Amino acid sequence: MKTNHKLRKVLGGIGEYVLSIGTFVAIWWIYVAVKKPPAYILPSPSKVWTSLVKLFASGEVYPHLWTTTYEVILGFIIGALLGIALGYAFSKVRFLHDMFMPYLIFMQTAPKIALVPLFIVWFGIGLVSKVILIISMVLFPVQAGMMLGLDSIPEDVGNLMKILKATKWQIFSKVEMEYSLPALFSGLKIGIVQAVIGAIVAEWMSGKQGLGYILTYASSTYNTAMLLAGIVVTILLGIFTYECINILERRFLSWHISQQV
Amino acid sequence: MSEYSVELKGIGQIYKNLLKEDTVALQDINLKIEAGEFISIIGPSGCGKSTLLRIIGNLDKPASGTIDYRDGANQQMGFVFQDSVLLPWKNVRQNAEFPLVIQKKRTPENEEKLDGLLELAGLTEFRDALPRELSGGMKQRVSIVRALSYDAPLMLMDEPFGALDALTRDHLNEELLKIWSKTQKTIIFVTHSIEEAVFLSDRVVVMSARPGQIKEIVSIDMPRPRDNETRNQPAFTEYSKYLRGLIG
Repeated sequence: MKTNHKLRKVLGGIGEYVLSIGTFVAIWWIYVAVKKPPAYILPSPSKVWTSLVKLFASGEVYPHLWTTTYEVILGFIIGALLGIALGYAFSKVRFLHDMFMPYLIFMQTAPKIALVPLFIVWFGIGLVSKVILIISMVLFPVQAGMMLGLDSIPEDVGNLMKILKATKWQIFSKVEMEYSLPALFSGLKIGIVQAVIGAIVAEWMSGKQGLGYILTYASSTYNTAMLLAGIVVTILLGIFTYECINILERRFLSWHISQQV
Repeated sequence: MSEYSVELKGIGQIYKNLLKEDTVALQDINLKIEAGEFISIIGPSGCGKSTLLRIIGNLDKPASGTIDYRDGANQQMGFVFQDSVLLPWKNVRQNAEFPLVIQKKRTPENEEKLDGLLELAGLTEFRDALPRELSGGMKQRVSIVRALSYDAPLMLMDEPFGALDALTRDHLNEELLKIWSKTQKTIIFVTHSIEEAVFLSDRVVVMSARPGQIKEIVSIDMPRPRDNETRNQPAFTEYSKYLRGLIG
């Protein structure tokens, strides 16, 4: 009875996806059929699909997909860990917060694309400058989430730990980390989306590898079908990595009110 | 003279203000609490009763005075807060067990005792429930069991039933007395309810506000065990009336 209900919900969710994408593709199709724009402006969905299938069938896309995924995962993990550490330090030591928070906000509000050329000058056109850009994009939302989580711990929880004569490590691992998880996960979810954006943007400007490179290559050769296919792959990568975080969240936050059906 | 549990000597607390005069929150509090005693602290809001309890619990440092615990500086205490402060990701059993985990006392014997306490508090069938699935009264029971789980001889309770409705409060008062008589703890209980203080206590400490001082200590000579009938007795009304007069 219960699994039946769950299954129906999942199928319903998939159905909604199919319906909304189907509608979009149908409108696109009709527009192309009626207006007949040149293929380099807007190819038909079937051409994009063929191009997409070709990307995968020829195996052309895999090294690029792998490069981008690798950058995203590496940058995300480092950025997330740094964000957690910084968030913890800032929330615990007021002085650090007052001292360095302005720089972080400054860095966050500066348009990231503007920083890429600078990173390239500093760190070269290889993996390092790309990963650094991704880290800079992941760091802030994760750190903000961590700080929000820590700051929302009720004061008496700290008093309880004091009464129990808990060690600092126990307080961190058994209470603070767990309490921060809901806010931390919203930061991580923003972070992973930002990580994919960061990787693509960095690849536009440097290197001969990655999905971003496919996009600039297709664009510069007026292969719009391939460009759109590349965008689809990017979106799929984004959805995939986002869902990974979602699954982790569901696993760790099963107790939280937000996870209730 | 019977054995004492805690002795407060000349406790004072002052909050410094930059612009105004300093606030004297507590002034010269002297109090000797017997082992196994149930003692309540009442007074108008702002009289420093919660501050005093926090000082006894080592959560705040007093500006002056000393506290002698029977077990010395390492005195184990249980603290029940006004809000139950259960950890939302742990179920009832895990929340109650939490102090045993922190203090590395998860022996089979203690686990068994814990199950006994959960039984005594009527929580056995909710042991797998999460805090958000519980009513306020239920949460506070878990919080009490948690404070008892590691067998600290001294229990500090800061208006634990203050947020509950009157019926639930009366009911939990009776349960608390049952638990107290079974576990032989010393309980220091802060409340703003005169009836609650009379019903529960051996002695009631009445405090006055600004500066927070002990106005009078009233012994409640009513027989135990006390139950719902106790509240209907003339003596109960007399004590309540007298205390109300003191607080003014």
